[in-house]
Amino acid sequence: MIDNQQFTITINERREFRSTPGVSLLTALKGQQVFIPSACGGRGACGLCKVRVVRGPHSPLSSKERFHLTEEEQRQGLRLSCQVPVDQAMAVAIPDGYFHAKEYRAEVADIRNLTHDIRELQLRLIDPPVLAFKAGQYIELQIPRYAQVQRLSFRAYSIASPPSSPDRIELEIRWIPHGLGTTYIFKHLKLHDQVMFHGPHGDFYLRESPRDIILIAGGSGMAPMKSILLDMRERHDPRTTRYFFGARNRRDLFLVDEMKRLELDLPDFKFIPALSQPLPDDSWHGETGLIMDVVDRHIDSNRPADTYLCGSPAMINACLAVLTRKGFSDDRIFFDKYS
Amino acid sequence: MKLSKKLVAITAAMQPGQIACDGFLGNDPRSLAAIMAADQAAVNRIGLSHRQIARRMIEFRDAGQKACGDWITIPPRWEVRVDSARGKLLCPFGDPGLYPKTSITVRDIQNGTEITFTDLHIHLIGRHGFYEGSGCAFRVEPARLAEVLDIN
Ligand SMILES: Cc1cc2nc3c(=O)[nH]c(=O)nc-3n(C[C@H](O)[C@H](O)[C@H](O)COP(=O)(O)OP(=O)(O)OC[C@H]3O[C@@H](n4cnc5c(N)ncnc54)[C@H](O)[C@@H]3O)c2cc1C
Ligand code: FES
Ligand SMILES: [Zn+2]
Repeated sequence: MIDNQQFTITINERREFRSTPGVSLLTALKGQQVFIPSACGGRGACGLCKVRVVRGPHSPLSSKERFHLTEEEQRQGLRLSCQVPVDQAMAVAIPDGYFHAKEYRAEVADIRNLTHDIRELQLRLIDPPVLAFKAGQYIELQIPRYAQVQRLSFRAYSIASPPSSPDRIELEIRWIPHGLGTTYIFKHLKLHDQVMFHGPHGDFYLRESPRDIILIAGGSGMAPMKSILLDMRERHDPRTTRYFFGARNRRDLFLVDEMKRLELDLPDFKFIPALSQPLPDDSWHGETGLIMDVVDRHIDSNRPADTYLCGSPAMINACLAVLTRKGFSDDRIFFDKYS
Repeated sequence: MKLSKKLVAITAAMQPGQIACDGFLGNDPRSLAAIMAADQAAVNRIGLSHRQIARRMIEFRDAGQKACGDWITIPPRWEVRVDSARGKLLCPFGDPGLYPKTSITVRDIQNGTEITFTDLHIHLIGRHGFYEGSGCAFRVEPARLAEVLDIN
């Protein structure tokens, strides 16, 4: 239906809005605070922005859509929302989870260096004033225009604080040399600056189950694990929990005291940091070796467990290999697939 | 006409802050086409192909990844370390796909030379024959890749 040169877009047959023609479906939905996953700024490169078009444009699929969509997905009416121009009324179907994300404005309330290259940011929410999320989820932080960067972009960061403090969230961010987002965060962002982000996103969060819990992380993968553990403490979660954290040497280890305190607060929790290349000065008496080998040595395949992984793709793949060999079933192993 | 329009779009995507913080062209005064033609000639001179170079880079990346961020020795004479951030990066040439944010450092233990490249480089070289502009922190010289990675 055309109304003042606008087209009606229906979402999940229960929400309607009007959009000006010409913009992409992705942009039109974002304008309504419906955040479809996207990692390429709408350039048709990432393939994440899939939505099912139930009624509406029958425009042929672009070559980028044909690249990203399987034949089955094409048959089901999936499209890349960044490639679909709003040029007529349409109805789309999206997962309900996408409705939970909103856009937020926040103030940098604290900045703390955790290691030589990892920094904790505390954000105090301004508008809206609270964020409801599940421990383990992430936000997309807007990187504004700065220095020679003249294009807005977004970078994903896991929330490190628990859902019980919805007005302040913490992020743990590792500096990447020449990184677009982290150069802004480490070199330009100051205390009391305001930032924009949207979220929460992701299906990496703690599942309810009677099983033990195994957490495995490295580097900034600490962030979602900290959120999960603090949440468990507040909910008096009684499950047996083992947290393996891999670092190269002592200077890459952080929040050790906080984790040791959690060992006292949680009924059955052990933090197992492991250094793969400890230096002589580290005087390290804990576990040594690559994290997947340490996990291999410690976990008991006879005890059913839910395993949560967060770290580099190489670490995740190596741990998956160990877990699969030990007979852990795929559907009880969780990690952020977009990372 | 169509080709030059495409080159303009690619050159725009290679500017600082578009896809990568520092961009892909550095302070190279040459056009993208001229940069690529010069590197094509350099690769011809050493008797290699872009694909051969990319394949060798993949071998080092795959061997290095096993150490999950640590140095690993690759006989007979190298050490490799693959560092990575979560997330993926686009190719400025506009083709679909995303490339992990890795930093792969290969060191020749015998003579101390080393070179660092990323997953995106492997794609840029293997698929497009692009080694980035001079003055760009990420520029990799074809001859140096061939020397440090012992490609022949
Ligand atoms: C779900 C999810 C959760 C995340 N959570 C966290 C978190 O809690 N903490 C955290 O620190 N990170 C997290 N990340 C990673 C984060 O989103 C960013 O990817 C990370 O901070 C790096 O961003 P950047 O903009 O600084 O680097 P980018 O600029 O995006 O990438 C830098 C990398 O790109 C490559 N590169 C850049 N320029 C060139 C060039 N010219 N030629 C070749 N290669 C080049 C290099 O590999 C370089 O290392 C998360 C990612 C995901 C997907
Ligand atoms: S947003 Fe990346 S393909 Fe659409
Ligand atoms: Zn490409």
